[in-house]
Amino acid sequence: MIEKDNRPVNLNLLTISLPIIGLSSILHRISGLAIFFSFPLVVWLFSVSLKSEESFVVLTNLLQSSFLLKTMTYLILVGFSYHLLAGFKKLLSDAFGIGETLESGRLLSWLVFGATFVMAIYFLTVVF
Amino acid sequence: MSAAAIPVEHIKTITMSIYRYDPTVDKKPYMQDIVVEIPTDKDIMVLDALHLAKNQEPSLSYRRSCREGVCGSDGMNINGKNGLACVTPLSEVLKRGKITLRPMPGLPVVRDLIVDMKQFFDQLEKVKPYLITKSDSPDMERKQTPEEREELDGLYECILCGCCSTSCPSFWWNPDKFLGPAALLQSWRFIADSRDEATEERLDDLEDAFSLYRCHGIMNCVSVCPKGLNPTEAISNIRNKLLTREKA
Repeated sequence: MIEKDNRPVNLNLLTISLPIIGLSSILHRISGLAIFFSFPLVVWLFSVSLKSEESFVVLTNLLQSSFLLKTMTYLILVGFSYHLLAGFKKLLSDAFGIGETLESGRLLSWLVFGATFVMAIYFLTVVF
Repeated sequence: MSAAAIPVEHIKTITMSIYRYDPTVDKKPYMQDIVVEIPTDKDIMVLDALHLAKNQEPSLSYRRSCREGVCGSDGMNINGKNGLACVTPLSEVLKRGKITLRPMPGLPVVRDLIVDMKQFFDQLEKVKPYLITKSDSPDMERKQTPEEREELDGLYECILCGCCSTSCPSFWWNPDKFLGPAALLQSWRFIADSRDEATEERLDDLEDAFSLYRCHGIMNCVSVCPKGLNPTEAISNIRNKLLTREKA
């Protein structure tokens, strides 16, 4: 018996198909991680905005002039929306067992993607 | 099935890209394209096409037995999606005359399309997939009402092909700790069985961070099950049972 297992394992993720429900689940995790790491920035922006009237104005001007900051705000908003909606989907399944069949799961995943898309368009008009 | 017996006008060629690995010869696995002639006047299964490929490449290895979706031997990754080669019509998976076959993901490859299913069966063993009773045996048999029997529909049909567990990311990353959809479906099959008398012990065994709770509802298991079963629902039922039970 060989001690170390040298046998290959077929686990090239690029060759394995990911159904829509799986994709929505993985994106839920990725968006959650992204929100977590963007948290310090959001808290900092929030604290600056509350410091004084002047700092609020400075921040508002900065948010309206800096493309980078605009883009970051936009991405955080979209990521947060997706994470929130996908979280509702997860809660529906955990609490009521809704979305646990292939059909309903697919439908809910599409709904989450669709709603996120609509919100993404809306945020586009708001932020930029 | 011999290609020579088919009239020429009913033949077309397809390319089968197949994962090859022979531990005695190859250092690494590689993909081999095998061109086979298939009949056009009827549909054949992926397994039939594999036989045709094996006629050309006798060293090509794969498991098969009943060739009708009952034994669960020929689970493999067909164009990226797990399934049984014997019940997957070639017409459904052929893309521009090509099909790609790889072994089921996540398990060590023994040779070509054959994986070592030890991890899979080790996890099944943990859920004690058999009826446990404590009361004395009745004279005749342990009876169930038709309604109680109905509870087992969608659970007892599992053939343990491994398609679900090897498509589950949670199982890929923790094949020794997360039981995987197949074993959890079996777990629920016995928890749901009115004749089983070890429900509490079964639930106790599942109450840790990994065994059951590593399921994140990705539902790849439901997407691939060749028998149309729903492990996600079974896992959810166990979870509800764990949350609502009154601990002694």
